[in-house]
Amino acid sequence: MKKFNKIVVSGLVILSVLASCNKEKDDPIIPNEEEVITTLNYTLTPAGGGTAIVLSFQDLDGDGGSAPTITGGALDSNTTYTGVLELLNEIESPTEDITVEVSAEGDDHQFFFEPSASDVTVSYTDMDANGDPIGITSTLTTNSTNTGTLKITLRHEPAKSATGVSSGDITNAGGETDIEVTFNLDVQ
Amino acid sequence: MFNKNLGLYFFLLLLPVVSISQDCKLTVSGVVKDLSTNKPIIFANVYLKESQKGVYTDSLGFFKFESMCEGDLHLSISHIGCEVQEIFFSLTKDTNVIVFLDHNGHLLNEFKVEGEGGKATTQESQSINSKTIGENSDKSLANMLEGISGVSVIKNGSGIAKPVVHGLYGTRITILNNGVAQSGQQWGVDHSPEIDPLVANKITVVKGVGALEYQGSSLGSVILVEPNKIDNEPHLHGEARYSFETNGLGNGINLELQQYGKLFAWRVVGTLKKSGDNHTPDYYLTNTGNQQANIALQLEKKWNKKWSSALYFSSFNADLGVLRGSHIGNLTDLEEAFEREVPFYTEENFSYSINSPYQKVNHHLLKFHTKYIINEKQWLDFTYAGQYNLRKEFDVRRSGRSEMPALSLKQISNFIEGKYKNYLPKDWDLNIGFQINHVDNTNLPETGILPLIPDYLGFETGVYGLITKKMEKTTFEFGGRYDFENRKVAAISTEVPRYIYRTENDYHNLSALFGVTHEFQKNWKVAYNIGYASRNPEVNELYSNGLHQGVSGIEEGDPTLNKETSIKNTLSIKGNVKEKLFVEGMFYNQNIKDYIYLNPQDEIRLTIRGAFPVFKYQQTNVRLTGFDIATTYQASQRFAITAKYSYLKGMDQTNDLPLIFMPSNTIFAELDYELPKLGTFQNVGFTVNGNYVFEQKNLLASQDFVAPPEAYYLIGLKFSAEKQLKKLKLNLYLRTENLLNTTYRDYLNRQRYFADDLGFNLVAGVNIKF
Repeated sequence: MKKFNKIVVSGLVILSVLASCNKEKDDPIIPNEEEVITTLNYTLTPAGGGTAIVLSFQDLDGDGGSAPTITGGALDSNTTYTGVLELLNEIESPTEDITVEVSAEGDDHQFFFEPSASDVTVSYTDMDANGDPIGITSTLTTNSTNTGTLKITLRHEPAKSATGVSSGDITNAGGETDIEVTFNLDVQ
Repeated sequence: MFNKNLGLYFFLLLLPVVSISQDCKLTVSGVVKDLSTNKPIIFANVYLKESQKGVYTDSLGFFKFESMCEGDLHLSISHIGCEVQEIFFSLTKDTNVIVFLDHNGHLLNEFKVEGEGGKATTQESQSINSKTIGENSDKSLANMLEGISGVSVIKNGSGIAKPVVHGLYGTRITILNNGVAQSGQQWGVDHSPEIDPLVANKITVVKGVGALEYQGSSLGSVILVEPNKIDNEPHLHGEARYSFETNGLGNGINLELQQYGKLFAWRVVGTLKKSGDNHTPDYYLTNTGNQQANIALQLEKKWNKKWSSALYFSSFNADLGVLRGSHIGNLTDLEEAFEREVPFYTEENFSYSINSPYQKVNHHLLKFHTKYIINEKQWLDFTYAGQYNLRKEFDVRRSGRSEMPALSLKQISNFIEGKYKNYLPKDWDLNIGFQINHVDNTNLPETGILPLIPDYLGFETGVYGLITKKMEKTTFEFGGRYDFENRKVAAISTEVPRYIYRTENDYHNLSALFGVTHEFQKNWKVAYNIGYASRNPEVNELYSNGLHQGVSGIEEGDPTLNKETSIKNTLSIKGNVKEKLFVEGMFYNQNIKDYIYLNPQDEIRLTIRGAFPVFKYQQTNVRLTGFDIATTYQASQRFAITAKYSYLKGMDQTNDLPLIFMPSNTIFAELDYELPKLGTFQNVGFTVNGNYVFEQKNLLASQDFVAPPEAYYLIGLKFSAEKQLKKLKLNLYLRTENLLNTTYRDYLNRQRYFADDLGFNLVAGVNIKF
């Protein structure tokens, strides 16, 4: 019976420990969201000089919450632009430049540009360590006036050696989509 | 003085002479009977380890060893389809024994399950025994149970599998690991139970209406994973198991040792498993390997006639690979993945390596149990259990972050249970008890990602009472349970700048059940059960908010969700015609009010990664109706045919829509041919089986990204044999799965969106009992 008492006592001790456990949950630690991409800017500077146009997609609170802000642009016809892509994480303070990460892992990333108007063409002007394009810098050429869209996709771990991929055709690229945004374009 | 010494001298001298003349004239005889039918078992193999001699039982189940000497004896009794019975005793006089073998896999299981505490229940259950567990040692817990009718499996590839009973899974069913409700991360369809089935000697599925004596939110069915009590046998015994499978080149070893020592009884079980990329008929499933290292330690001590205690520790540690090609970006990627014949990232060659995406799961259980027998009619039972669960999920990420988990959760739970049992006069049984459980779930901040579910503290208390009344042909069962749960949540906002907000919920739940079984005619029993139960909304259903990578959708919880309440009815019938044709059927109907499910919304949400479909946790009233039917025709002693059919239909009654993610209907058939003896082998069995899985037609095209897969059938072969090698008992088996190398996809396998299911597999194994 002594042992039985012991068990009862230890049971009560555990009970009281449990009861004291039932306090408030500690504050969760807010993670350092260094990986998030909130913003994509595609800056197009006319090759012959002039004001740069910035196509921008910004979603400051990440997925969900308020809707993203998408800014298209008006381009001149029959013009060649130098394009530079910039990826930012604006949740972090100071703002983090994600482009650096993409560039450092150039062989694992590739941007694809898909204009809806056949009159607009985009070509790569950079390359990774294997000589395949990344797309952080590019050239965009307009012809006749028209309106349409430009879809920019960033794929992680695409098959860069697959048919057409290095010339910018996404069809066989595979991989995982890190970014997929569409801008309105007005070629005047 | 002299006389006395002389007397002793004479005695010593005489003793050997007397014992020789007496000893080796002893007889050991006995009868081997079937545990459930009480009928004699013919041609059971009875092996005497000391003299390395074996005999078979005769047509009356009788066996006899003559000219035996006094001393310790180990008898090993085996019969095809039965668990081997080991008997140990010290022979001093002619001995007669009755041995009961559990004829498992047979349809003729008893209605009543006598659990550890000897509690009778009217609820239907089916078990697999240690022989079946041993011959399927390559499988996970859920995959082992797949053969039980009414049980199906949700998979995410082959390594990640969770059981579904009568259409319900996850927190809607309770899994008890050695009597303790498994407390882990069971909120995702891609979270498999953190239990090594090889630590168990018996796994039981109670296809019931309520599990009132257990803590947990079961809406009916319960899965019990139970190690046996350690045999009262002073010598060291054990079992070693090895299995190899060709698909995935999987290897598994398992070792069990036990001894009933003078101070205490002990058992230790260890498992090591490793397998690599699985293969469909056409290609490798890259990154579907997994590895496990598990151990369990069991100590038992009988203090005196009234007191016994047990300590149990188990540790489960697994790395589970997830098909690389199933890790995709947005809706466009998903649609593209559906179109592909072969998934992205499929490698030409086999590999054992496990890279991102994968899951790393650790689960440790420490249980202390003590039982005090007040008198032969009453006992008290006390349990403490602590569980520690760690789940880390790794995704493919940028800049070396694949090394960082994308999800990292730690759960600590502490559980206390007290039970009292009283066998009252006139065959009334009373069981009452209480449980207290405290759960602390924390996201570890190492992920760099906003957590999918928030941190919380849960505090649950419950009390229950069950009464059974046995009459000559009828048994009644009544039960009631009350639960209180308090949950305190500390969550991080989805708005920026991030802030912390807190919520608290209290839930009061009542459950009740009634059951009756009745024997009619000879060999027929019918049972009816009705149960009322409820389940509180889980944290993910309330608060999840964000992208669920595996399913490529944005999932939104709803903090205003109510608890689910369920009424389930089951009607079962079981019996046989002239002990040739065995029939078993169970019909069930379950109405769940406020059933929580992920409802696809019309909205497509635009993010920087592209468009994603939105799913919201919503509530509706549903009805699950189905039946499981099984029959066996024992054509002769050697030949038997079994057929099973399971049907289930789930309907969302509020919206008059089919219920998504319900198991397909299946037909299973098996032919068994058994030989008690073949050459130097005993208990030789050959089996051919076929499993036909219907297409899930109870679904609208708009309810899924892709239509459910077509119907398929798989053929399997099995061969097993036993051989006695001196003191070792060998059990050899060979099994094939998907013999015809059929290309198929299964509706409940999440991987079906991306890849075919497994191709041909040959499993070979040996179990050595010593």
